[in-house]
Amino acid sequence: MERTLAQVTNLTTDDKSQSEASVILAAQQGDKVAYKTLYHTHVGRVYALCFRLTGDRGLAEDATQEVFIQLWSKLDRFDGQSQFSTWLHSVSANVTVSYLRKQRNWVQRMFNIESSPAMDMPAAADSSQIDLEALVVRLPQRARMVFVLHAIEGYRHEEIATMLDMAVGTSKAQFHRAKQLLKTWMGCEDDEI
Amino acid sequence: MTKFDKTLDAEIQRLPQRREPERDLWRGIELSLHSKDSKVQNKEENSVAQVSIAPWLAMAASIMLVSVIWIYSPAFTSGEGDSDSTKLTGINSEQPGSRQANPPQSTPKQSKLAGYALVDALSQQQNEQMTALLASYDKTPELSENWQAQLEELDDAAGVIRAALKDDPSNRALLKMLQHVYQQQITLIERVHAPKWQQI
Repeated sequence: MERTLAQVTNLTTDDKSQSEASVILAAQQGDKVAYKTLYHTHVGRVYALCFRLTGDRGLAEDATQEVFIQLWSKLDRFDGQSQFSTWLHSVSANVTVSYLRKQRNWVQRMFNIESSPAMDMPAAADSSQIDLEALVVRLPQRARMVFVLHAIEGYRHEEIATMLDMAVGTSKAQFHRAKQLLKTWMGCEDDEI
Repeated sequence: MTKFDKTLDAEIQRLPQRREPERDLWRGIELSLHSKDSKVQNKEENSVAQVSIAPWLAMAASIMLVSVIWIYSPAFTSGEGDSDSTKLTGINSEQPGSRQANPPQSTPKQSKLAGYALVDALSQQQNEQMTALLASYDKTPELSENWQAQLEELDDAAGVIRAALKDDPSNRALLKMLQHVYQQQITLIERVHAPKWQQI
């Protein structure tokens, strides 16, 4: 339980999963040291997802904190039937989406902001060196969230529609829009293979 | 499948699975978990206490809140720029003669901690006042259905301001914003539970 992260990363795969299981169990029982170990193990993946969904470093940091704050009270729902990282990923996506929704409402009410002007900026298309991450971040919010959840995280449009409270058709349309924007920005031709 | 789809798939596969945040997020998480634990503890204690003492608790909390603000009132009423932190922490390095009246010199980190103590005090008083208010309105019908969502949104706003205050605890504008949000929370609870004739 008191193992450091470095010790955990030096273990074999079996040892690792056993060690993580015991860390999870301890955290479920209220051990904050164990929870901190879980945080350090998974914060990189959670933050990467939050960053892609929010498209903003500050929002991603806040959303990551929100994920781990809410996760503390949701931990007892993890029954060990699936991989912890898979379950955590799903929790992270849901918490981030709902965090963004609340954040957007608040910001819009306070400042009456409709959307980010980032998508209007000209793209520096260079197909030989594509930074997909940077391009995804520039997508309009709804298109970005749908693209990240469908293309990168592997969610089905039906699941995304439920998560984002939109019609399945809207999810598909937003995905198409995201792809069209990326295609333009990446300077790709529309050749069939 | 188009050439673009293939390129896109290849690029998606190349995306890094991990990305490290640029600042330490654990401290904020730990503080929030600690605060949640305290809230749960307070709730349990309050449920044991009799509802009839709740109005008195609310009054006591209000008096303490006013006292805290009064003690630190120079920070809200006068002074400019850099002198704010000295007012909040009681440190004045320019007047050697005044050292006897003030606490000893401290490091910037200690000053920050001392400054943030005010935020902690305000937040604690707010928690106590809200808990007492909610307990006193326990059996009063609510005039709005989504007031708890509004309260949570205000709570989120307060959280954002508190996070900013961690880096700059003597920022007067932030402190005022925090006070304003806290006041909005109290007003919301009172309005939602006020008898209908008071709304007319």
